[in-house]
Amino acid sequence: MLKKHPIITFIFFGFILFLISNRLDELRVYQGATVAVYAIGIASLILLIGYSGQVSLGHGAFLAIGGFAAALARIHFDAPIWLTFVVAVLAAAIGGALLGLAAARLSGPYLAGTTLALAIGLPSIANQFSIFGGEQGISFDIGLPPASLGEDFTQYKWFFWISWTVALITLYWLRNILNSRYGRGWRAVRSNDVAAELAGIHVGRNKVLAFTISAGLAGLAGALLAMTISLASPGVFPLALSFSLATGAVLSGVTTLGGIMIGSVTLVAIPEIALAIANRYGSETITTNLPGLLVSALLILTVLFVPNGPVEQMHAKRAKRGHSSHSPVEISVRVGSKTWSTKK
Amino acid sequence: MIRINRRKLITTSAVLAIAALTVATVPAQALNPQMADPGITASTIKLGVTSPLTGIASPGYNKIPGAMKAYFDYVNTNGGVNGRKITLVSKDDQYIPTTAVAKANELILRDKVFALVGTLGTASTKALTASTQLSKRGIPSLFVNTGWSGFADKKAYPTTFSILPSYQMEAKIMAKYVKETYAGKKIAIIYQDDDFGRDALAGFKTAGLTFDTYIPYASGSQALPATGAGWISKLKTAGAEVTVLFGVTSASTAALANAYGAGFKTQWVLGSVGGDATTIAATNKAYVPLLFGAKGFSFAPAPTDTTDEYIKLFQSIYATAQPTQTFDNNVVAGMSNAFLAVQALKAAGANLTRAGLIKAIETKGSTFASPFLTPLGYSSTSHVGATGYWVGTYGPTGALTPDGGKYTVYTTDSGTGPVVLSTYTRPAMPAKGL
Repeated sequence: MLKKHPIITFIFFGFILFLISNRLDELRVYQGATVAVYAIGIASLILLIGYSGQVSLGHGAFLAIGGFAAALARIHFDAPIWLTFVVAVLAAAIGGALLGLAAARLSGPYLAGTTLALAIGLPSIANQFSIFGGEQGISFDIGLPPASLGEDFTQYKWFFWISWTVALITLYWLRNILNSRYGRGWRAVRSNDVAAELAGIHVGRNKVLAFTISAGLAGLAGALLAMTISLASPGVFPLALSFSLATGAVLSGVTTLGGIMIGSVTLVAIPEIALAIANRYGSETITTNLPGLLVSALLILTVLFVPNGPVEQMHAKRAKRGHSSHSPVEISVRVGSKTWSTKK
Repeated sequence: MIRINRRKLITTSAVLAIAALTVATVPAQALNPQMADPGITASTIKLGVTSPLTGIASPGYNKIPGAMKAYFDYVNTNGGVNGRKITLVSKDDQYIPTTAVAKANELILRDKVFALVGTLGTASTKALTASTQLSKRGIPSLFVNTGWSGFADKKAYPTTFSILPSYQMEAKIMAKYVKETYAGKKIAIIYQDDDFGRDALAGFKTAGLTFDTYIPYASGSQALPATGAGWISKLKTAGAEVTVLFGVTSASTAALANAYGAGFKTQWVLGSVGGDATTIAATNKAYVPLLFGAKGFSFAPAPTDTTDEYIKLFQSIYATAQPTQTFDNNVVAGMSNAFLAVQALKAAGANLTRAGLIKAIETKGSTFASPFLTPLGYSSTSHVGATGYWVGTYGPTGALTPDGGKYTVYTTDSGTGPVVLSTYTRPAMPAKGL
């Protein structure tokens, strides 16, 4: 039944999360909400890097667009929560489409450089216009949880519920999109764009579309991130956030959504581990700076030992033993006696 | 193949999520309204601070938690407060609001501190107050290190108390000084175009001081070389004889260095936030002497003033606790923070609760002993600490000393009240400074 109706699985997963949220203490609930935010952010990168073969080192910029758009919609138009998220997605998607037009002409290190520049430059733009509140930023207050949920219902639990509801819906939608014609198109482009084009796939259009959707999702993650800390400011979306997301995507395995929880839980868990280490061996100054080191070390180790991510690695092992035939989508084109194929 | 992939996706995700979240679970604590507030036992009080210990804003500020701890340790060795020893949990937020929120969460939810004390920075303090919902939880946030007048809004920040005078107060006092001292001269202002600077502009307006030239800058842009050079060329064109700078120290650094480079002379009048020699020295030690001759404002006794009984005490405590560090105004700020916190905890009595602590500051706060040379403004309607400033001149080492050899203190409010010469005489320090 689960195989045939993935939506039931998602609902089941959501129900388990709901039960968990009632059992955990507030700090864990807060961290749980952050996991959901990272999950969406990482998913947007996986779509971009793993499926369409475009690299972004500056995805934090789209999170920033989403976060600010949501906060502005809330402040100036008193938009309801769900609408602020829609605004965030649209604003970031527009930004993504514009960059995507340029990105489709770039590849490899040039594209990485361009996105990186965006992540560095965008916060300065926010500093130039007082509507964005300068370094202090603007507050994003979604208000107290509905009174009907009871007196003991904490703000963090409210964040947790919202984040996970949005995350599950998003991942479900993304899973479907990636298994659709578009997903196959993107994978074909990634594997071999000449073959894809010969098969009738419009490479440029596909790349721009992937960039737009990815940016929109990143904007959604940005709005949720701003929500969990009640603030949109340049400091909320530092360059380090972009790198963390990229690391999370690599840890998760960029070619499949399956490992997404690995990356997002790791990103939230690393500061915890750093704290445990620092408590035993060092001081507070280490605690804040150790996570960066751990993230980088983990990134290097992942690239060295499980370049496609743990989930893909598992599939590969199974395939070797002959259990499964997990393989990328294959497109072959025959012209006369010659065959082009996306299969490596 | 997609089928298998999907099943894997689902099971892996679910298993990992559940495992990660449940393994980390600690048993949920039963909520009991009769229970004492967290962070307090018969023999201990746990306080928490988050401030920049590393990162770009840390020079100078990173001394504050150490200074606080030094004073708390001093109090502990002298018997503590009502028999309770104070422990301070210090976190590093790197001056990044997101990190400040995460650290405040750790302090409140993991370390279970009784109260926050001395959090630093307007943006960080705003973010953590909103996100951790200090007011709903009733957690006191003692003596935040920011002068943003928004924190005086008791409705929005019912559990937050500031220690600095508000930026509006400072601007009104600066305005009075500038109008009286530099009448008839061409006056310009460089200010930070955000809550901080606009707060000051409102104060200047109230005090009736208009400038011949206004130069706003966006927070963050002062780090760009072109910004500082741009200010100086504008000042030159305007022929500014006196320049008020209401910004952060990095902006003062940019202004002083560029004016020196361009050979431009003006009488600098620096706001209290923007004249920290330790921060300037962190950029370039050679810039510190450029402060020489600039006017500055402060409400605490000068760190170099060894005739002051508080400074003498603080110096001796700090010399024992941190023998390798220099004693400067950041240390005075940290010690004052801790000193006031101890006064507040004492006033709240042996039967200490969070609500009781807030009540004690509101009802008795204005009579607390304090190292400051101005009255304390705490009351049931005001959560602002110091209420005035004295004017001084920076020496070649970046030390601010009072003009005329004695502290002439002006006091005012954040509203339309007049700026008056303070008649406040600071009461003698409690025995042993406890």
